[in-house]
Amino acid sequence: MDCKEAVEKLYLYLDGEMLTEEERRSLEEHLGLCRACCQRYEFEKFLWDLVRQNGQRESVPQTLIMRIENVLAHF
Amino acid sequence: MMSSIKEDQKKAFQDLLMPQLGALYRTALRMTRRREDAEDLVQETIMKAYAAFDRFEPGTNFRAWIFKILTNTFINDYYRVRDREKHSSLEEMVEDVNFQPQFEGFTPEEMLLNTLTREDVLRAIESLPLEFRSVVILTLVEGFSYKETAEILDIPIGTVMSRLHRGRKILQKLLWEYSHKNKSTRSKVENGL
Repeated sequence: MDCKEAVEKLYLYLDGEMLTEEERRSLEEHLGLCRACCQRYEFEKFLWDLVRQNGQRESVPQTLIMRIENVLAHF
Repeated sequence: MMSSIKEDQKKAFQDLLMPQLGALYRTALRMTRRREDAEDLVQETIMKAYAAFDRFEPGTNFRAWIFKILTNTFINDYYRVRDREKHSSLEEMVEDVNFQPQFEGFTPEEMLLNTLTREDVLRAIESLPLEFRSVVILTLVEGFSYKETAEILDIPIGTVMSRLHRGRKILQKLLWEYSHKNKSTRSKVENGL
């Protein structure tokens, strides 16, 4: 796998999508050998982990829990 | 007898619903950008989902099913004309996004960790035009697969992928700008300016 192909496949790899076992192995091999692509991978992983973690950090307000309990009680 | 069936159905619904409540609320919040609207949207979603629960096939993907109800309700009842207008300029900007950060010589921590706040990340997500925002939230934040996202939003999987790609580019650009702004504010404070 060359750098162009590795970059094209990077998001699929990060998102756990649509890569065959062989493509995945080949990409991991490339990342192990190519410093630039490895840095790119680390940057992308860091960035999207940051987005996910911050996006998920939100607690449900007590007012909503009470509203839902009230709705469920009337079903 | 009837009442026992109803109680069983209610319990089954509740057992499936409650683990999703947090994800439904935060998705509603990122979509509506207002806490009051997000609460209303979640409540409406739950009422619609319960009304349609007899059509839900047990053992299938409840999470994707209820998220579909949430996103449809949002688009039909909450996405107002003013929101569409507000985003037209951003959509034009999307065409120009050709941003490529430099990776050599930086570690991610140096670039972003010390400067970006949770508010920056949320502001960036909420700035995205709806078609990008919904795909970014469902895949990158909530972890739905491309296929599930396509089904929830009723769009082809290729459209999910292209919107996600562009959404990522815009988010990356915004976060990059915020992090630079934070860095420059911080150095002004440190220099007593």
